[in-house]
Amino acid sequence: MCRTHATVRSLIGELVAAGEDVTVADMEAGLEHLSRGTPRHVDTLLAVMEPYFKSLETGRRAYELGSELGVKQLFVLANKVRSGRDEEAIRTFCDRHGLRLIGVIPYDDAFAEADREGVAPVDYRQDAPGVAAIMRLADVLAQV
Amino acid sequence: MHHDGAKRLAVCGKGGSGKTTVAGILARAFARRGRRVLAIDADSNPNLALTLGIPRNDAERIPPIPRTLLERRIEPDGSERVVLTQSPDEIIRTYGVKAPDDVTLLLMGRVDHAGAG
Repeated sequence: MCRTHATVRSLIGELVAAGEDVTVADMEAGLEHLSRGTPRHVDTLLAVMEPYFKSLETGRRAYELGSELGVKQLFVLANKVRSGRDEEAIRTFCDRHGLRLIGVIPYDDAFAEADREGVAPVDYRQDAPGVAAIMRLADVLAQV
Repeated sequence: MHHDGAKRLAVCGKGGSGKTTVAGILARAFARRGRRVLAIDADSNPNLALTLGIPRNDAERIPPIPRTLLERRIEPDGSERVVLTQSPDEIIRTYGVKAPDDVTLLLMGRVDHAGAG
């Protein structure tokens, strides 16, 4: 194991655990943090997936790694879903691999528009379909 | 002490999947529901600040946690361990920056390269 990553592991794990109430960690796009023990400090892992193969596969690996490492709650979040076919593709994938789907976030131009304006999506249009769907997800997560 | 509903949430996914957007909106949403939220940007291409609503100019000036807070220790069995020289609470107080809705953001950023030398 490379020292650099051992460093990150010890640091992020303790910091995640130090949050007083809710901690939300935006993880490395690769699986480096995950494969090196971060989930010991994490109770819920959300694997965000777009409905295309590479995204599904990356999400599945994160999910399964989290499961092996003992993270208690694991969920798939379907994101950028443009159609019923998109949604079906993710549902089928989750069923086939035994992954638990917690929500479906529709594709929403508001995200790109907010980015262009240099503002947060919630400050741009919190009633935009994608933004609202993620905000509702917080309520769902608060219950699990 | 953590209260009963304490949550430690890791948002994962391929680059471009929208994980940062999801993480940022969830953090703001929890905060608006009265939760005290710590957001941690552990991506080596950090973008969470913008999604949380920190203006671009300010976001560029957020200091990542410096590598000087890390120290290598040799265990009695000869193995090496990296430890923090400050408590996580101190680190959050010192390096955490405020985002709207009183979310605290911690930027791991360049810590990826700490200890490499």
